[in-house]
Amino acid sequence: MNTKMRKFADASMEKIASMENRLSGVLRPIKPRKEFVHEVAQRIQTKTQATFVDRVAEWHLVAMLIAGFISMTVFLAVLGRVLMSLLKKKPTA
Amino acid sequence: MPESEEQETLLLAAQGDLEAFGVLYAKYVERIFNYVYYRTGNVHDAEDLTARVFYRALHHIHTYTDRGVPFSAWLYRIAHNLVANWHRDRSRHQEIPLSDAPTLHYKGDPPELALMQSQERDALLKLIRHLPSERQHLLILKFVEHMSNTEIGETMGRSEGAVKSLYHRTLLALRDELEGSDLEE
Repeated sequence: MNTKMRKFADASMEKIASMENRLSGVLRPIKPRKEFVHEVAQRIQTKTQATFVDRVAEWHLVAMLIAGFISMTVFLAVLGRVLMSLLKKKPTA
Repeated sequence: MPESEEQETLLLAAQGDLEAFGVLYAKYVERIFNYVYYRTGNVHDAEDLTARVFYRALHHIHTYTDRGVPFSAWLYRIAHNLVANWHRDRSRHQEIPLSDAPTLHYKGDPPELALMQSQERDALLKLIRHLPSERQHLLILKFVEHMSNTEIGETMGRSEGAVKSLYHRTLLALRDELEGSDLEE
C-alpha cells in the first residue's frame, strides 16, 4: 500500500515538475510600452481622464436608478389598477 | 520601496495627492499590466484595462482602508472586476491569440521560449485562460511575479497551505488537460 502511495505521489510530483517547466517558459514577465506607461502617468497627474470616465460611470448608475424607479412606479400603478378593477367587478357578479 | 514608506505614500494618495498616487502607479503598473495581459490575451485590451484600473483606483483611493493586505491586492481586485466585465462584454467576439501581439518583448533572454513550439505555447496559454480566474491569478503571481506562497496568500486572501494546495491541483489539472489534447509529447 505504501509503495503504491509513494508511486502515486512520485507520479504527481513528476507531473507538477513537468508543468512547472512548461509554464515557466510560457508565463514570463512582459514590459508594457513606455509610451503607454508615460501617457497614463500624465493623465493621472492631470486627472482629466479619470474624471471623465467616472462621470460616465456615475451617469450610467443614475440613469439605471431612474429607469428602475420609473419601471417600479408603472408596475405598481398597473397592479393597483388591475386590483381595483377586480374588486369593482366582484359585487356585480 | 519599504512598507512604511508605501504606507505614507498611500496615506498621501488617499488625501488626494496626485504625485503620491503617481508613485504607486509607477510601482504597480507593470504588475497590473501583466495580470491583465495574461487574462485577456491581447496587448491592446491589456493597455486599455490597465489604464482603467488606475483611473478607478485614483477615483476610489480615498475609500481605501488598510486591512493588513497589500495594496496590490486592492489593485488586483479592481483589475479582476474589469477583466470579468471585459470577458462578459466580449463573449461573442473571437479570441486573438497571444502570439499576435507584435510589440511585446520578454524581459531578458528567453532561450527556452525560442525552443518551445509556438503552437504548444499558444495552446497552453489558451488552456490557462480557460481556468477559473482564481487559478489564473495564482499562476500569474507564481510565474510572472515570482511570488512565494506566503506572498500569494497575502495577495489572494488565502492561507499559505491553501495556496500550495490550489497550486498543485491547478498544475495537475492543466497536465491532465494537456494529456487530453494532442500536444503531449
